[in-house]
Amino acid sequence: MYATKQPTLRIKQADLKCKNGCGFFGNAEWEGYCSKCYRDYMQKQRERNTSQEKAEHSKARIPGFSKFEEKKRQQIDKKNKYLKNFTPVFRKSSSAKDSGKSERHHELRHSNPEMEKLTAEYITKYGVWGEHVRKDFLKCVNSVYTKILIDIDNKPIEDIAELIQKYYNMFSDRLNRNSVYEEVISDVRDQMLDFFEKFVMIGLYSVLFCPHTTNDEEKDLAIQDRIRKLSWVTAHHLGCCISETSMEVRDLVYTAITDLLGIDSVKAPQEKLACVVRCCRSIMEVLQHCQGAPVSADEFLPALIFIVLKGNPARLKSNIHYVTRFCNDSRLMQGEGGYYFTNLCCAVSFIENLTAESLSMTEEEFKAYMTGVITPVSAWESALVACESMHQLCEHLSLLKNLSERTDAVQKGTGELKENINKFKNEITKKVSSVLAKTPLIIKPRKTLIDFDLHESTNDNLPPPIIPIIKARPLEEIEDGNHNLATTNLFPFENTGNADLQSQNEQQQPAFTNFYEQNLQLQSIGLTSDKQKSTLQLNITPCVPDLQTTELSFDNQSLNLDEQQSGFLELSNVNYDIDFSDLSADNSVAEELTPEKHKSPSFTPDPFSPIGSSCNIAQTPLLPSSAPLLPTTNTAPESTSNPNQTNDFFLPAAEADRVETILDQTEEMCTANLPTPLKPTTSQYSGFSKQGWQIPSIPCNTGDYSSLNMSQSQAWVPNSNVNVTNPNKNNQNNDEFEKQE
Amino acid sequence: MANISTSTNTQNFKVVLLGEGCVGKTSLVLRYVEDKFNSNHISTVQASFLNKKLNIEGKRVNLAIWDTAGQEKFHALGPIYYRSSNGAVLVYDITDEDSFQRIKSWVKELRKMLGTDICLVIVGNKTDLEKDRHVSLEEAETYASKVGALHFQTSAKLNQGIEEMFLTLTQKMLERVAEQETQNNTLTRQNSQRRNVLVVEDDQVPPPPSKHCCGSS
Repeated sequence: MYATKQPTLRIKQADLKCKNGCGFFGNAEWEGYCSKCYRDYMQKQRERNTSQEKAEHSKARIPGFSKFEEKKRQQIDKKNKYLKNFTPVFRKSSSAKDSGKSERHHELRHSNPEMEKLTAEYITKYGVWGEHVRKDFLKCVNSVYTKILIDIDNKPIEDIAELIQKYYNMFSDRLNRNSVYEEVISDVRDQMLDFFEKFVMIGLYSVLFCPHTTNDEEKDLAIQDRIRKLSWVTAHHLGCCISETSMEVRDLVYTAITDLLGIDSVKAPQEKLACVVRCCRSIMEVLQHCQGAPVSADEFLPALIFIVLKGNPARLKSNIHYVTRFCNDSRLMQGEGGYYFTNLCCAVSFIENLTAESLSMTEEEFKAYMTGVITPVSAWESALVACESMHQLCEHLSLLKNLSERTDAVQKGTGELKENINKFKNEITKKVSSVLAKTPLIIKPRKTLIDFDLHESTNDNLPPPIIPIIKARPLEEIEDGNHNLATTNLFPFENTGNADLQSQNEQQQPAFTNFYEQNLQLQSIGLTSDKQKSTLQLNITPCVPDLQTTELSFDNQSLNLDEQQSGFLELSNVNYDIDFSDLSADNSVAEELTPEKHKSPSFTPDPFSPIGSSCNIAQTPLLPSSAPLLPTTNTAPESTSNPNQTNDFFLPAAEADRVETILDQTEEMCTANLPTPLKPTTSQYSGFSKQGWQIPSIPCNTGDYSSLNMSQSQAWVPNSNVNVTNPNKNNQNNDEFEKQE
Repeated sequence: MANISTSTNTQNFKVVLLGEGCVGKTSLVLRYVEDKFNSNHISTVQASFLNKKLNIEGKRVNLAIWDTAGQEKFHALGPIYYRSSNGAVLVYDITDEDSFQRIKSWVKELRKMLGTDICLVIVGNKTDLEKDRHVSLEEAETYASKVGALHFQTSAKLNQGIEEMFLTLTQKMLERVAEQETQNNTLTRQNSQRRNVLVVEDDQVPPPPSKHCCGSS
């Protein structure tokens, strides 16, 4: 073999020498001469040409020249023949003869440093399982080597691939069944199977990768060319969301590309697969960065295509074929590696068949891109071209684009916000104005105050509290139960109040009557016994805070009330004040009235109306004290059933209550302004005298208004006045009573 | 067909998810494997390739679920995906008639390429949007029975019917494997089967990319 080689080489070397045989090397450009001889040759030719022109007839030289040319052609043919022979020497030497095969085998086994490395790896990994395991393993590997090397040139690569797969399965069976591997645990067996694959494939890599019997190399070049032509395709074209500006994303993309390029640098199929997996994982990370959600195949495949386009890995097709052929099927069909590899196959297939449609653009646009009419610039592109400044430029451009988009968004947002604010403002003002229109309350209370003042001036003198007179001869007067009825009659005349006022009047009047009665009670108590009086006072004291609270409640509600109503409220306050004064005063007489009032239906407090509540509060504390008092002074049946007959005190009170209620209603019918102030006075008055009709009506009004007009401090004064005045009236009434009697 | 019982006695199945984009393939498989719906709360980086280990009647089964890109432009890549898969889950959106038509084309293709080796399940997803239904249940079920496929209705959002669907599919695949084992005891080498598949491919379908081991040259 070696011997045959030598002569061919020698011939070739000789062939390279100058045709003149001067010993120097020739050159094809100089038509096989050395430089010196070529110059001579050219000179000769030039002379010959001139001589030809000069002497056309000198034909004897031409045959010589043709002879020379012929000789030259022969030489070239010979050279080609040698060269033809020459290349097969390197490629196919082993296929021809057995000696060559053995030599190759020998070469693989020993001269290949990788094999030594693998053997060493085996020993470190599986050496512990014993010498016989190692021997069997190597035996299997060697048998594969020999078989494949025999078949490689005789069979198509697909058959070889099947053969290899068969060997994998055989070895797998052997691992599980052969007694040699008994001791090896199952996990390690799987690892050994993988290592077997690696061992075999690395050993046969030079033979099996891109074998000469296939056109893999052409396909590699074709796909490489295709990808180069498609270099203008951007992530946007593919519809995947890879942001170009993020540093992190960029790094990950470059990592992915590097991993993809790494496929060509490793030899075992499983290692190539691992590269693919690493690449795809980086892509997954990129996508997760960009979209924030777990990545589905819908997003992954376009991204992988993009990476393949940008990476343009060397010998892509060869690598893919190599892996599909010689990777253990079980790994390729399933598992992460298989999945990603399948995706890579899909990506390559997509790139091969890429059309304008698949990039969702028009045919013209696609053609324009393909022919270079349009040349887009992207950050990836420039980065891969390794022009740093251009890369930065592109990055800044896209950054600026992003920024301008964001500014637009912000401006839009501010506009919207402004609009919203205005809208909100309008809404609020509208609402407020509507509310104001609905309830223009604030102005009215002021008016009422002014009105009251006006009334005050007229009615100051009128308030009718009559208490002092009653003191003088309580029993006698009260004995006449009918007087009350008379008083009741009085009220209808007096009252011309509004319907609205009715309820409050009703409530107020009982309150006033209560007060009056209380006063009476106190007075009577005072008359009857000092002890009782003292107890009453004690009982009353707690009332004070209650009254105050009721006043407060009035104030609150007064806002909603009409002028007159508010006037009533203030009157009620005034009345309370009066009560206190009455209590303090040691007037007796009316004690018997209280129980009846207590029982009478009219007294049931109106929980809703502030006045009613106030009345209750005022009364309730008093009642317990009064109730015990009654039996002492008056008999129980009298108080309850027939006050008129048994006890004078009861009757008038009871009647007065009833009358009051009736009166109140009538009052409301009458003048609107009058009723509120009237109640207290009338009630008090009614209780005591028949005659009081006209008198009470007048004083009631006056008393109320006076109280309203005055400030609190002043209000006290009119109250006192009332107290003072009332006695006078009472006296008058009494006088009248007396007269009647 | 590609199930290789390794030293452990686990049955490996490859299941491809097919269906148009946005029909909820990913949600479906995520719900099944992770039992989560809202994609914001899922820890997994990727939802395209997921493994699910099952134990059915004492048999250990490992389902490798392959998600596929649903975009129309990747339709031609289907054969690469479903090559040598044991089962296919064809998902359509009950509110989208087109997605159901797409299923029909997949079924035709799959039957051509893989014959009856593959177990088909047609899944109507998004039953929570019942009010917007555009594909009637009867239509889908009659079609499924016509092509020898199972039909299920699921809701990835409400987690309805998903577990059941995968379980039934797995059982059917196990049955199919048992059948095959009895049928062709002679053909133990899966590679010969693989070749058969490719022969079918050559006959009937636009050739899938030449990188198939037996397809080229």
